[in-house]
Amino acid sequence: MRRILLPLLAGILFLILQTAWLPSFPIHRIRPDLLLIFTLYLAFLFPPIFGGLLAFLMGYLMDLFSGNALGFYTFSRPLVFFVAQFFKERFYLEGFSFQFLFAFVFGMLEGILIFILMNALQPFSLGNFVPLFFTFLLPQSFFTGLATPLLFWLFQKGSSLLFRQPEKKMKERV
Amino acid sequence: MRIRGFFLFRRYSLLIFIILLLLFALVLMSLRAKQREGVEFFDALLMEISSPFQKASTLIIKTVQGTFQHYVFLVNLEKESRVLKQKIAELQEENHRMKEMKLANERLRQLLQFREKNSPSMIGAEVIGQDPSSWFKSVTIDKGEKDGVKKGMAVISPTGVIGQILKTAPHYATVLLVTDYNSAIDSIVQRTRAKAIVEGKGENRCKLKYLLRAEEAAVGDIVVTSGLGGNFPKGLMIGEIKKVDKKGHGVFQYAELVPSVDLTQLEEVFVIMEPLPSSQPQEEKGKKGKKTKK
Repeated sequence: MRRILLPLLAGILFLILQTAWLPSFPIHRIRPDLLLIFTLYLAFLFPPIFGGLLAFLMGYLMDLFSGNALGFYTFSRPLVFFVAQFFKERFYLEGFSFQFLFAFVFGMLEGILIFILMNALQPFSLGNFVPLFFTFLLPQSFFTGLATPLLFWLFQKGSSLLFRQPEKKMKERV
Repeated sequence: MRIRGFFLFRRYSLLIFIILLLLFALVLMSLRAKQREGVEFFDALLMEISSPFQKASTLIIKTVQGTFQHYVFLVNLEKESRVLKQKIAELQEENHRMKEMKLANERLRQLLQFREKNSPSMIGAEVIGQDPSSWFKSVTIDKGEKDGVKKGMAVISPTGVIGQILKTAPHYATVLLVTDYNSAIDSIVQRTRAKAIVEGKGENRCKLKYLLRAEEAAVGDIVVTSGLGGNFPKGLMIGEIKKVDKKGHGVFQYAELVPSVDLTQLEEVFVIMEPLPSSQPQEEKGKKGKKTKK
């Protein structure tokens, strides 16, 4: 029960931080996506079915508090989770640079997916992709990547305190 | 055959689960696009459960920030004292002028009372959270269906238009800001009375669409609501034109405006409760339909 409830509460906590705390920062435009980092971490810690459901719920909650009326994150977050699960054993993920790169690439890929979905399913046009890429997507993913090593370290500390077993398993995998 | 099928299922169970989960997300997207009530009810339920946490954390964050601003950063106190003394002198002078204006005010009050009788009713709401995603622009407020808030209602502040209600829960609602790509408001340029549609442009910018090339619009012009959309009363300030481009070809010119409200610093907002006559929203729906076809 604890293994189900605690990650769920942690997800809600990150959502709240993202909606209530990060907007009070001076740079409103670019905020690290804490829930994306959490979803990536879930890919290392949890089995595909439970983790996939959790990622789905995180995406659903994100859509709920967002101006996004169709619910793109309900689709993109489990997808990110499964792709990260697929690659977790194929990459070396210790150290700042690798963790940064991992989150940066996933941030970019998810951004491109959202851009494609928005252009395909919504009646308005987002305009040219290139300016959006350089002024928004690239810096946004960069900051998400920068925050990842610190948050991964915090998640590892937290999960080792709460569930000692999975922590060992995760280290073996990484 | 059944046993073989079972083994095949077990072998590919994970793949089937992944496909089903992603398909379910796509079905949800489709249901949301069709605005099915079941999904809206589930959305409202989840929002109702998680919003109190959001409200509480916003309160804590504001309190902590307030403490820092009031007690920790006392370094500029002396400078502030000088500024305040200067301000008192200015206020005394202003006070004399106010007395003169008081008489004029008496006369104007009678006119205002008449206007208030005809203006739509509003309720105040507190912003408890911003959009978690950087792609979309919305805020969550602490008023919902129980307070009479409905989808599509206009949200304003004393300085201008903020947006409209996108989703509602019993005690909470999501407001789609004017800067969101999904937002479209019928408007007019105050000086020239040229009609246009204000659409969000993502960042703290909006664009004026369908502004005829023959119409005059210049940098610094104020854009206000036209009242034709049905949700917003006429004459509310939306923003100021910052860029006009007539270089391209076509019937329309391009203009960009900055909203009059600082949407990144929203704390309190007003929701306009009184609906306008039913013929006007239908007109808006017709326009949206056309836009969707495009």
